[in-house]
Amino acid sequence: MEHNVLNEDELDDWLIESIKLYDDLHVFELQETTQVIEWTGEKSVCVAGCKSVSRNEILELALPQRLYSKQNQGLCPERDFKVVHGGFSDRPISCLKHIRGTRILVSSGPPDSSLQLWQIGADGSDVIKPLHCIHNKEHTKNWSRIATSDSGSPCVLHGSKVKDIQVTDLESKKAVYSLDTDNTDSVSSLELLSKDEFLLCSGKGHLWLADMRQPGSLATPCTLLPQGEGLHWCMGLRNRLSESDAASSRVARLSSFGHVLVTDMRDASSPLCQAKLNLSCDSSDYNIMTVTWAPALDDCLAVSGFNGKVHIYNTKSWIPTFTEEEPLFIHKGHAIAEGPGDRSSAVVTTHVWHPWKPRTLLSAATNGSLHVWDWIDQKMES
Amino acid sequence: MSEMVGFDGPIYMTHPTKAICPILLEDYRKITVDKKGETNFFTSQMIKDCMKKVVAVNLHQTVQVDDELEIKAYYAGHVLGAAMFQIRVGLESVVYTGDYNMTPDRHLGAAWIDKCRPDVLISESTYATTIRDSKRCRERDFLKKVHETVERGGKVLIPVFALGRAQELCILLETFWDRMNLKAPIYFSTGLTEKANHYYKLFITWTNQKIRKTFVQRNMFEFKHIKAFDRSYADNPGPMVVFATPGMLHAGQSLHIFKKWASNEKNMVIMPGYCVQGTVGHKILSGQKKLEMEGRQTLEVKMQVEYMSFSAHADAKGIMQLIRMAEPRSVLLVHGEAKKMEFLKQKIEQEFSINCFMPANGETATTVTNPSVPVDIALSLLKREAALGPLPDPKKPRTMHGTLIVKDNSLRLVAPEQALKELGLSEHQLRFTCRVQIQDPQSEQDTLNTIYSHLKRSLTRSKETKNNARYSYSEGQFVLPLIHTVCDVCPVLLICFHKQSLRLVAPEQALKELGLSEHQLRFTCRVQIQDPQSEQDTLNTIYSHLKSALTGREGDLTPNVIRSLSQVFKAVTAGKSTRTCRNERRPFSPSRLIQL
Repeated sequence: MEHNVLNEDELDDWLIESIKLYDDLHVFELQETTQVIEWTGEKSVCVAGCKSVSRNEILELALPQRLYSKQNQGLCPERDFKVVHGGFSDRPISCLKHIRGTRILVSSGPPDSSLQLWQIGADGSDVIKPLHCIHNKEHTKNWSRIATSDSGSPCVLHGSKVKDIQVTDLESKKAVYSLDTDNTDSVSSLELLSKDEFLLCSGKGHLWLADMRQPGSLATPCTLLPQGEGLHWCMGLRNRLSESDAASSRVARLSSFGHVLVTDMRDASSPLCQAKLNLSCDSSDYNIMTVTWAPALDDCLAVSGFNGKVHIYNTKSWIPTFTEEEPLFIHKGHAIAEGPGDRSSAVVTTHVWHPWKPRTLLSAATNGSLHVWDWIDQKMES
Repeated sequence: MSEMVGFDGPIYMTHPTKAICPILLEDYRKITVDKKGETNFFTSQMIKDCMKKVVAVNLHQTVQVDDELEIKAYYAGHVLGAAMFQIRVGLESVVYTGDYNMTPDRHLGAAWIDKCRPDVLISESTYATTIRDSKRCRERDFLKKVHETVERGGKVLIPVFALGRAQELCILLETFWDRMNLKAPIYFSTGLTEKANHYYKLFITWTNQKIRKTFVQRNMFEFKHIKAFDRSYADNPGPMVVFATPGMLHAGQSLHIFKKWASNEKNMVIMPGYCVQGTVGHKILSGQKKLEMEGRQTLEVKMQVEYMSFSAHADAKGIMQLIRMAEPRSVLLVHGEAKKMEFLKQKIEQEFSINCFMPANGETATTVTNPSVPVDIALSLLKREAALGPLPDPKKPRTMHGTLIVKDNSLRLVAPEQALKELGLSEHQLRFTCRVQIQDPQSEQDTLNTIYSHLKRSLTRSKETKNNARYSYSEGQFVLPLIHTVCDVCPVLLICFHKQSLRLVAPEQALKELGLSEHQLRFTCRVQIQDPQSEQDTLNTIYSHLKSALTGREGDLTPNVIRSLSQVFKAVTAGKSTRTCRNERRPFSPSRLIQL
């Protein structure tokens, strides 16, 4: 592995700069690029390969001690992830969800819309074992989006096109609910708000709030077609507060042109606020566009999937009219790769927030890198 | 320790290890005996005696331990002097990796091994499931901590060993101080400066060309910002960074400074390595805030305590890379729980299609090796084989006929004629004959023709359709059947096979190879017996006579024969026909019956 001196200097520069930018920074290199980072507990995450047609690994990683100890962090020498469980998938994994309260994972990926179920560590071994498959009532060539419930019910909401969305009971493998519609738009994001309600965002940006207690055809979208341009849209749901507050959820929709619309579900007819983000686009893969809300920071959201960076914004100052907004922080680490490969083309594939550390995120990119970073809010510092 | 168990053979290690080893052992000994109070421990003299047995080796140098055993060291990265060893006897070898690092860092290149194809590669599995944080991030963390402390006017104490990471950390700080234009003084305790030069020399010869060049360019071991320390500086006001020995804060200068700085919360101590139990280092790393010092004095530790671990071991990716490089026939994982290594075992087996063992402590793992035996082959033999057709490929091996001569220490494959000549032996021709009586209504000539064409057809057919890797023959090997008419009444066909090789196979296998189906031959013989006894008595006499005659010959009598005898007997006594061997699969051979 050749390391030219110039590259080393650039790396040094960034690292020295990073001393001021981050409280904590960890840079890892996975053997396979992952498109998913899914929390499977307070101290573990799952990642999975998404490139190989024949053999991809699913790994459950234990967080380095430093990242979950609340006191005396300095005395934790451990800075490394540990692979605690691993398994093999014969299809690339595009979506991976954990059923809370269990050791079950649900995944989906090309070449079709079926779901695969996995058991982590059966019989005390360190293997993630495949269980069985679940098929949508309509078999399509696109991989399904998956949503699982916070309450840990053994049901999963999934679909690749709006018309094939269904809720399947994992034990009986039978569909317990399905949407009655002809709509063939692609599903971009799904979120289960409670055991009866879910949010659906289509690739075109339409947003629906569906109530499973009222079976019937799909209502017209609860919002008008977004004003901003964009070939593809995805959504991020802000922390579900409680079941009764399902309707008061806040949703951010992100377009492939960098337009963000924030909608309060109590009044979904017009956006709460919106912004045009100045994001250079190095990727043509819409599936990796991600927008998420910080669980422990008010009004902050993170955006990735356009290039090798993760952008963080504070929406508190945003206004209802379409204006350009600047980020609070930009994580550039993935674009400055340490390993082989064309560093300039690394694109962030996914990111997640730490559940309780306010400014800690985990992000992954197309060059196999996995970063954990705790950024410093410069405005707060000064 | 070699001295304590009475080992007096050679101890092999790399040159840097030989240089560093006695110093580290002495340090360790001092702490364990003085601090921990161990009594049954090795002495300084033992260390000296042990080092006398050391033989230093160079990388990639094959060292002959005795006339059978050879070893070779490979670069392991990880720390100065670290090596992986290949141990070979004849054509079989084992590679033991120890700790290695596949990711190059600022100072040490990545581990490297050639495609030596050992029979077994032994590697630790604990680290194989680790995904390592980059070295740069660890360094960044170190720099950040130092920077923050210095910025707020605090003092940083870094207890170090005489030789080791200290030098690397100095280089790091030096670079950082330069970039950030920092002014706070950095001190290096006396004694370490001299060792630095020694370390530098060891280092430069150890690392690869590329890194060596970098060092020369940057002049990394000459420090601009780092000065020699004096005891009195510890009382100077303002920020500073001090590297002091010994590494576990158990005595000497580092402990002296620690006592002075411990009560100020602006200060920081960074422990860069593991500390033995009983030392101050170990206590503060366990979180102890109050320490008992000599003279029953209590020391309150208000300064920040940090633990930096810089040593980089192999990781999940590294072990796969190493296996890819060395191409072992099998892998043996050590130091892990069996249930927790299942995934890695599967991963290795699937990716490389080799066996992966995980023996428990005390358990023996067996791997089958396929040592190839080199044999010299005579050119004439090669030419002859080449003339027979296209050369065989590994997927379709072809049987070759020759004679193996083992003489002195050489193995030679020569043509049989040559072997006979060399050994002064004459060739024996073996002819296997078999008389077959055939009842056929056709004329003698027609029968012979039928037999001939049948044989020719079935034997040549087998050559074409079988394509059996181990059996091949061409027309030339058959002598066209000689037709002898032994007597006019019953012509006998004599079929001779000219054998080039002698192979003893089970009859079923022979049939299979020749593509023939087993013919059941039943030999019957009518015997007319005149006996005054009753029918039953006559039969009994015949039965017992046959039985004793047949059992008399060892090994000849199979259970089947006995059974069929009794069957015959039973059939006869029941009044049934005297047809022998109704369902028997192994008929008597003609010779047996004749002799009867």
